Amino acid sequence: MRNSRDTQLLCELSRPGRRAARLPACDVPERDIADLLPTEATASSPPALPEVTEPQIVRHFVNLSTMNMSVDTHFYPLGSCTMKYNPKRNERAAAMPGFADLHPCQPEETIQGMLALLYEMQEYFQEISGLPACSLQPAAGAHGELTALLVAAAYFKDLGENRSKVLVPDNAHGTNPASAAMAGYRSITVKTTSDGFVDMADLASKLDDEVAVMMITNPSTLGLFEPHMREIADQVHARGGLIYLDGANMNAILGITRPGDWGADMQHYNPHKTFSGPHGGGGPGAGPICVIEKLAPYLPTPIVRKEDSLYALDFNLPKTIGRVRSFFGNVGVLVRAYAYIRTHGPDGLREVSENAVLNANYLLSRVKHILPVPQGNRCMHEFVASANTLKKDKGITAMDIAKRLLDYGFHAPTVYFPLTVPEAMMCEPTESESKETLDAFAEVLFRITEEDAELLHDAPHSTAVSRPDEVRAARQPVLTWAALSEAN
Amino acid sequence: MPYHYNTPEDKQAMLSAIGAESVDVLFDSIPAELKLGRRLDLPPALSELELDQHLRELASRNTPAGEAVCFLGAGSYDHFIPAVVDTIGSRSEFYTSYTPYQAEASQGNLQVMFEYQSLITELTGLDVSNASLYDGASAAAEAVLMAISATGRHGKVIVPESLHPEYRATIATYLENLATEVVTIPTSGGVVDPEILSEAVDEETAAVVLQQPNFFGCVEDAAEVNRITKKAGALLIAVFDPMSLGVLKRPGDYGANIAVAEGHTLGSPMAYGGPYLGIMACEKSLVRRMPGRIAGQTVDRRGNTCFVLTMQTREQHIRREKATSNVCTNQGLFALRATVYLAQLGPQGLRETASLCLQKSRYAAEQLCQHERFSLAFEEPTFKEFVIRDRENRVDDLLKSALDRGYLAGLPLGRWYPELADCFLVAVTEKRTKAEIDGLVSTLTKASERVSVPATV
Ligand SMILES: Cc1ncc(COP(=O)(O)O)c(C=O)c1O
Repeated sequence: MRNSRDTQLLCELSRPGRRAARLPACDVPERDIADLLPTEATASSPPALPEVTEPQIVRHFVNLSTMNMSVDTHFYPLGSCTMKYNPKRNERAAAMPGFADLHPCQPEETIQGMLALLYEMQEYFQEISGLPACSLQPAAGAHGELTALLVAAAYFKDLGENRSKVLVPDNAHGTNPASAAMAGYRSITVKTTSDGFVDMADLASKLDDEVAVMMITNPSTLGLFEPHMREIADQVHARGGLIYLDGANMNAILGITRPGDWGADMQHYNPHKTFSGPHGGGGPGAGPICVIEKLAPYLPTPIVRKEDSLYALDFNLPKTIGRVRSFFGNVGVLVRAYAYIRTHGPDGLREVSENAVLNANYLLSRVKHILPVPQGNRCMHEFVASANTLKKDKGITAMDIAKRLLDYGFHAPTVYFPLTVPEAMMCEPTESESKETLDAFAEVLFRITEEDAELLHDAPHSTAVSRPDEVRAARQPVLTWAALSEAN
Repeated sequence: MPYHYNTPEDKQAMLSAIGAESVDVLFDSIPAELKLGRRLDLPPALSELELDQHLRELASRNTPAGEAVCFLGAGSYDHFIPAVVDTIGSRSEFYTSYTPYQAEASQGNLQVMFEYQSLITELTGLDVSNASLYDGASAAAEAVLMAISATGRHGKVIVPESLHPEYRATIATYLENLATEVVTIPTSGGVVDPEILSEAVDEETAAVVLQQPNFFGCVEDAAEVNRITKKAGALLIAVFDPMSLGVLKRPGDYGANIAVAEGHTLGSPMAYGGPYLGIMACEKSLVRRMPGRIAGQTVDRRGNTCFVLTMQTREQHIRREKATSNVCTNQGLFALRATVYLAQLGPQGLRETASLCLQKSRYAAEQLCQHERFSLAFEEPTFKEFVIRDRENRVDDLLKSALDRGYLAGLPLGRWYPELADCFLVAVTEKRTKAEIDGLVSTLTKASERVSVPATV
């Protein structure tokens, strides 16, 4: 049971003179700071951090933690985010001192085990995607998108081709067009049809010699496998362009089909989705990318190579785009992904996708009688239901349903994404949920749609807080403790 | 299978509800010719016990700090992590949740973000902070993009050589296909040369990026750099070491408009380079150009104080190609760890930690320089790192023989600075004891005797 006294802000819990950490006495001859540093550079007092004790800190944060829903406490069918179970053995693995306490600049001979693991990860990612080269450097999916688009840009520059456009379907995740713009491209939207597939006529009208890359999410954000995938790739390739695969939805196809086999030239993974890295309340993730052979020379460095039985870092890629961050990559996330892949093996990974798709289709079969699923009867790992009819008939929105689900102890699906489906509710149950949970969710969903509209508009009723005033938050931003006292 | 439940009976029941004969049928939308048709070429599944044994074996082929004494720095440091940080960081209500899209079910995370932002603004002396970026280097690149859009100056950004080489490389990669040029200026004596900077900065300059203390550990004349920068109407981006702010002036106090940092040192392990924590704070006037998530306080329908993700019209999910950045997933768990860490340290703890780093590193530098083989490459005052010049110019042999005796003694600088091929960078945190420092000194001086013998034969 939450204790709200201790979830006051740290600054409110603070009292002058309290402290938690005690540091060792200085064991080297101590000198006056004024003798060591120029006075213009030094601060007369340290920053005004809160002054609290260790027991206060623990009670504060443990109580705050109870105000979250999480995978370990609730069904969390947040579409596109693959909120699967986060294995505890992975956490233990990443915390082993032999991995966690390595400095990123240690000599190679002192990190052979680490490099072996990372080398294997490059190989696994290549095998799963069907693409022959890999960089583990990017820090998240969006970072992988940016990195790959910069790789593509370097490739075209090398060819002497001036290509300024990136094509992005209208149901793509927002990071796709944002990454295109950051990489210096113009993002051009390609329409999708009411079936949810790329509109081939619209594509034909937009595909020209200035197109560098077409970004595509397959299975798409509607949870559908793009039927024209091969054709799209062929057409883009015929104009000299490249295909980028947004790999956020790999959980549907592990060991079943591979992007490299249907014409993708580059892709990222989200190991924090597909390979069970926990989301951490926002991160960290990782965004490894795989590419075809002709793009390999442009990848960021270093890359792990194996020579005989020794592992080494290769910084010597003359055409590399350089770096997109410091040091090697989000290694802690990759260690977890490694543990996950080794736990499953090839058959186990295939079963992950089979069960993810089975669960999603089962949930779909139950939900479609409650909320229409405009794009059909079948799906891959997720589906997008629409509350549009309910909205027209009863004034109940996707947001109302999402909020009411919280009252029943379920996290909400992703709502209002993709933008192509009105009142979208994107459900991704993942493989790590039981039939009973899916049944219970569908029953609750049904019950909610029968409830009084007023009750739903005011939902949630049982959470620590009710709906926040977002307009006020944006118009009169209060972003820090200091702003708080200014506002009062 | 380890993490899913469906029994054969479940599967049957589910398939009949779906109206499908088999699981395979569910994949019929994938054209047959695109299917893999073979098993993935991956090693077979391991039980938890086997996995544990295998990972321990891999880990045993590494030499972590703790087995060797770590004097490596350059943006990643062996600082102490209090137990509370691990305790809170392993609360799975925190680490198994997503970005707080449903505010009512995420008040824990949202309040942590708000507290993190508050602490970062106290730390930096700036008005606002976001809820984290990937790491220090990518945060620096994002800061540069922000400065370009804020100033409308697309000509150039200036990065002194005393900025971390990997940060410079990251900025260059981010700007490669944009109009703005990255101009690298040489330093004098390990710090920015005011004359060279004044020459380089002009009305086309969007920003100057100053690392304080810099890559060589030296304390820059930040006030002077700020004066020169502002005179040309450019913005000052400070790259700071959070720990240094226990003794050094805050970026906001010397005029930085944007401050970024590598924040893994606030309670997260070195972990071979990541995941880390990209810190970013800025002046109020720049907040709408900031990348990343921001939490704000507001009220709920019952008038209760609560927290919510805010100013989302900056972000990719709303603005798509017009967003301030593409960042989506950030480093939330590490922002949580930093929040707990800073609460645990408090103002006095931060001051004492900074002071220990300062005292111990200066002691180490002095002791090393007692030996005729070694000297400081730069005379400027340093905070917790310093550059040692090896008069015999045999850095690799020296560090190798120190490693044989259990010391990760320093980082050779030749890879980034050919003119410093006879130099290495040494970092000393609060964790290093006098005995370890004396051990390092005696190892390096002994190593020097050993290697210098054959050299003279
Ligand atoms: C379809 C899709 N693409 C890209 C991304 C971006 O990945 P990340 O959040 O790891 O940057 C996401 C995740 O939110 C996604 O769902």
